[in-house]
Amino acid sequence: MTAKITIRGLGHEYVNPFTRERVVALDGVDLEVAEGEFLTVVGPSGCGKTTLLNVLAGLLPKTRGTVLLDGREVRGPGPDRGVVFQEFAIMPWRTVEKNIAHGLEIQSVPKEERSAIVRRFVELVGLRGFERKYPHELSGGMKQRVAVARTLAANPEVMLMDEPFASVDSQTRITLQEELNAIAQATRKTILFVTHNVEEAVFLGDRCCVLSGRPGRVKALVPVGIPRARRRWNLLMSDGTFDAAKEKVFGLVREEVGKEV
Amino acid sequence: MERHWEIVSTWVLILAATIAAWSLGAATLPVPDYFLPPPSAVLSAFVELIAKGMLPIFVAESLRRIVLAALLGLFVGVPIGLLLGVSRVTADFAYPVLNFFQSVSGIAWLPLMLIWFGFGERTILVAVNYTVLFPVIFNALLGIRSVPQIYVNALRTLGASRWRIVRDVLLPGALPNIAMGVRLGLAYGWRALIAAEMLVGANGLGFMIFNAQTFHLTARIMLGMGIIGALWVVLDYFLLRPLEEATIARWGMVQR
Amino acid sequence: MMHGWRGDLLAVGRGAAPFALILIAWALVTRANVLPAMFLPPPADVARTGWDMLKDGSLWTNIGASVGRVLVSLVISVPLAVGLGIFVGLRRRLSPVFEPIAGFFNSLSGIAWLPLAVTWFGLGWVSVIFIMFNTIFFLVFYNTLVGVRSVPRIFEHAVRTLGGSRRHIIFQVLIPGAMPNIVTGIRMSIGFGWRALIAAEMIATSTGLGFLIYNASNFHQTDTILVGIVTIGILWLLTDRLVLQPIERWTVERWGLVSSSR
Repeated sequence: MTAKITIRGLGHEYVNPFTRERVVALDGVDLEVAEGEFLTVVGPSGCGKTTLLNVLAGLLPKTRGTVLLDGREVRGPGPDRGVVFQEFAIMPWRTVEKNIAHGLEIQSVPKEERSAIVRRFVELVGLRGFERKYPHELSGGMKQRVAVARTLAANPEVMLMDEPFASVDSQTRITLQEELNAIAQATRKTILFVTHNVEEAVFLGDRCCVLSGRPGRVKALVPVGIPRARRRWNLLMSDGTFDAAKEKVFGLVREEVGKEV
Repeated sequence: MERHWEIVSTWVLILAATIAAWSLGAATLPVPDYFLPPPSAVLSAFVELIAKGMLPIFVAESLRRIVLAALLGLFVGVPIGLLLGVSRVTADFAYPVLNFFQSVSGIAWLPLMLIWFGFGERTILVAVNYTVLFPVIFNALLGIRSVPQIYVNALRTLGASRWRIVRDVLLPGALPNIAMGVRLGLAYGWRALIAAEMLVGANGLGFMIFNAQTFHLTARIMLGMGIIGALWVVLDYFLLRPLEEATIARWGMVQR
Repeated sequence: MMHGWRGDLLAVGRGAAPFALILIAWALVTRANVLPAMFLPPPADVARTGWDMLKDGSLWTNIGASVGRVLVSLVISVPLAVGLGIFVGLRRRLSPVFEPIAGFFNSLSGIAWLPLAVTWFGLGWVSVIFIMFNTIFFLVFYNTLVGVRSVPRIFEHAVRTLGGSRRHIIFQVLIPGAMPNIVTGIRMSIGFGWRALIAAEMIATSTGLGFLIYNASNFHQTDTILVGIVTIGILWLLTDRLVLQPIERWTVERWGLVSSSR
């Protein structure tokens, strides 16, 4: 396996604008994500999960260390790293199809090709019949499907997901998790997925990366040896491998939460 | 804190640059003196008008008229709007009429009022009060009608009386619109007052700047404009905004 | 459920009924001969005067002058105000400096500019346009500035991660995102501008609806004044129905957004 993303000695610091104190959010993060791997990142709140993702996306500057994508240094945001945000961040003034086409539009993909791609991804995320709707007419789960489709349609090298299912109801979340699993299986994209939900992290990840409390660094990497095809909630309800991985990750996270109290 | 200083110092810088450019322009541009008096002339006009006692009187007269209109708006306009709004029938009936009258400014009625009330104080007061009153009534009515029905239903299921629903739901629910109406009405009214004082007045700030134009006292015009703008900023910042913030912003109801 | 033209007709009827009642009351008052006709002419007289003015073209000329002034001022001020508002709004250091300055000029908007306008430009079109420009420009500038600053950063992030440039961010995020506020600004500026226009026309010009009614009052032509007032009211309702509401429906309402400025 070749590394798609290589992170070495990554650090991020900032000055709190209110207290004027220096805050070390990340300190010496070392991590490699393989081509086609689905890596989930969990950790206690405030451990710098989202900071890590934003540095990878190029939305935040790193203070120390290196971040390589396919061996090249990452500088600023770019279409090679698609991001799915927790707040959806789809444009209220664009219809569903226009939102999904947004990245293609920016890349100046010709119109016919664009609409063919959009149609494919509308299909993939199950939004047929909603192409002409505006975001405010959609439910939270549907908005997030649009956001996922938008990112996939732009065909990034890697997909970065920042707690994408945190603000949808639990029923929808289960559906979206299974759909994302199917998408990962079908597209073989490299995905880095940040969440605070341990079950979700184990359900989705090929490996599960546990971050320590602030300053965030990699505490452990837990492999989850379950084939994609088997990852359905009804099949995993009493699955030994799943339960064992879950227990392990739970324990690791709890240690970190305990430290803070 | 540092940001604050940055902003204030930028203001001082802009102000200094404006005054410098203005002085330079007044001294060098080939235009008659009354076209662009230097800033110093505005300052001396200020000193002169205060010494003569004219400025305090004009300011007081304009303020008296707008405060009167504000009080009328608050204590007569708001209750009328609420009363009309409580019943669906009266609300449906009054809505288009109020909409028409609030969209025709008091200044448009001024020629008619001149015939009805004569060339003087009475006409100014009617024009200003008209201009303030209609947006206030209109928005108070709109406020009552736009309170979501679920709040009313919620209180009904708690066994509330009609009066209690008015007091606990409709009134607070209408407050954002009431505040908006008062602010809009006074903003329109302040301008109508200046215009009415120009056309009909024998005192007040509108009269002052209009009269100054006749005598080419441009420094007085600029001084008057500065005071008109500043008075509104003070009124808005220290009276209307706190009123709004004390009530509706606290409930997170301001649409910002 | 009432659908289609029958529903529309019913709505129009319901809106017109109060006005019909006012008209009847007005006719009764003038019939009772309690007021001299100079104070309040009967509605039929006003209608006849209005019809005559339409026929001899004098009403059209004055409507044309007023509406023309509004349109010219809008065309000059709005693009400039939106452009500068976005330019300043993009600069995090500049915008908090300019926001209160624009706020001050807003509080000065309208008729207070008249004496200075007449000093500089004399009586006529230029003075009126100058007053209107100052009224419209600062309102739209201020609202655009506030609008640009209130667009959530997350949209900007999203477009940047899709590979978008600064141009993409301006045209695909900031302008549509600030649209609710821009529309509010334009609506307010037409409201304030239209009022300032009527007052300015009374003093500084010899055409337009403001001049028409003020001049009529010198000759105690109450019927002409009432024709003018009704025309002003109708023009505002038409502006609202045919211009402002469609703009709002096509942008803000369709996108499910609310304005953040007042």
